[in-house]
Amino acid sequence: MRSAAASPVVCGEEREVARSAARWLALLESGDASDQDRIKLQQWRDSCASHERAWQKIQQLRQRFSGLPANLAMATLDRPAPDRRAVLKGALGLAVLAPSIWLLSRQLPLDVWRADLQTSTGERKRVQLADGSSLELNTASAVNVDLGVRRLTLVRGEISLNVPGAAALTIEGPYGRIAVSQSEVCVRLNENDCRVSVVSGVVQLQPLQGPALTLKGGEQISLKASGAGPISAFDTLLPGWRDGVLMAQNQPLGDFLRELGRYRTGLLRWEPALETLRVTGSFRLDNTDRVLSLLAASLPVEVQTRTRYWVTLVPSKTASPKKSA
Amino acid sequence: MIDAATPTDPTLDSLYRDHHGWLESWLRRRMGNAWDAADLSQDTFLRVLASSQQLADLREPRAYLLTVGKRLLSNFYSRRSLEQAYLEALAQLPEESAPSPEQRWLWLETLQALDELLDGLPPLVRRAFLWSQLEGLSYRAIAERLNVSERTVKRYMAQAYEHCLLVDW
Repeated sequence: MRSAAASPVVCGEEREVARSAARWLALLESGDASDQDRIKLQQWRDSCASHERAWQKIQQLRQRFSGLPANLAMATLDRPAPDRRAVLKGALGLAVLAPSIWLLSRQLPLDVWRADLQTSTGERKRVQLADGSSLELNTASAVNVDLGVRRLTLVRGEISLNVPGAAALTIEGPYGRIAVSQSEVCVRLNENDCRVSVVSGVVQLQPLQGPALTLKGGEQISLKASGAGPISAFDTLLPGWRDGVLMAQNQPLGDFLRELGRYRTGLLRWEPALETLRVTGSFRLDNTDRVLSLLAASLPVEVQTRTRYWVTLVPSKTASPKKSA
Repeated sequence: MIDAATPTDPTLDSLYRDHHGWLESWLRRRMGNAWDAADLSQDTFLRVLASSQQLADLREPRAYLLTVGKRLLSNFYSRRSLEQAYLEALAQLPEESAPSPEQRWLWLETLQALDELLDGLPPLVRRAFLWSQLEGLSYRAIAERLNVSERTVKRYMAQAYEHCLLVDW
């Protein structure tokens, strides 16, 4: 280590200091350092405040690494380059762009017969199937397509399917089966049920329990393990996601935020007091930070960003008169 | 944000006026998303403002903006790919060792900072460094895994430490 014997008063340039500190540490870690080297290192650290600062900074860096679970950090920091991942997925015959970006009105031709499609949080995907049907996946969804037996299996999340032809496509879910032909339907898998909403045409349902049902445009139903719930009117605001918007009409803020949270990576929390505030509006889903800013601008709430991934809404401190939403 | 009401460098002012729309539409074509493109183009001008580059001396302002913009774009994609890799790794964890939601996002935040810090290191240097920091591998073990000499590993490690010291964090 040549810089070790440097004069104690004159400090080198920043780069020179960094280089020395880095070499000292590497020497120490390699196990090749002699007692003599250790004494010299101490002298180097003592000789100038900037040397000691650099040394401490490296120690802090090591601590940051040691605070992380090794396997998780390794998988994340040593991941394959993004373009390589895209190439791998591209081999499936599906163009997959960077994850979690909304693919606005992008049509992806699907000419394979079988495919496992999925979207990550905040992403949406539209796929044209070989039989002329079109399938759309909302955020954080997965569906397996097998056109050989004309079946789609909804694994998680929400899809919309439009089948213009007379040959039915079947959507299989954990709570039943839905036959779609010359009709358009939205299906959403929740934790304990599966909601089927018919946009147009007529669909046939076979719940896990109980008799088969027919549902027509403007109607929706909830399928559960115990069977089908009652038929109700279909809320036309719901499939707004297909246009990349989230719509609310005098909706409790809590419900709105739970819905918004589906499109965001990270934690979104709010104080219980905010649960019943009312929201009206239509919000673009491709930037959920912006939606939160809009809420803060129109409701007595404040957005506290702890990290990029940890956002909490609290009642605003200033008791300013409520602006109209 | 660049605020028209605050007195700004007149050169920056005209730079913004002349090229902002152009940069934003370039980014929008690349990203296929208007909001992200708008954010990124705004960030690009902020970076330019914060840099020590003498704006008046810029011969090719668009080339310069593009250089900054491309770097931000690549950061943007690498952050997305990091998020994805992290979420996949989390999903692999056995149920009993599942971290609390808070913990998950705090780790991600740290990982992102470290990822940015390590950006620009040659792949082998980066890998050697990660093995040492995360898995606690000795230089000898790293040398064997990489099939290089221990002396080379020592050089890699010094290079990584030096890099980290020279980057602000």
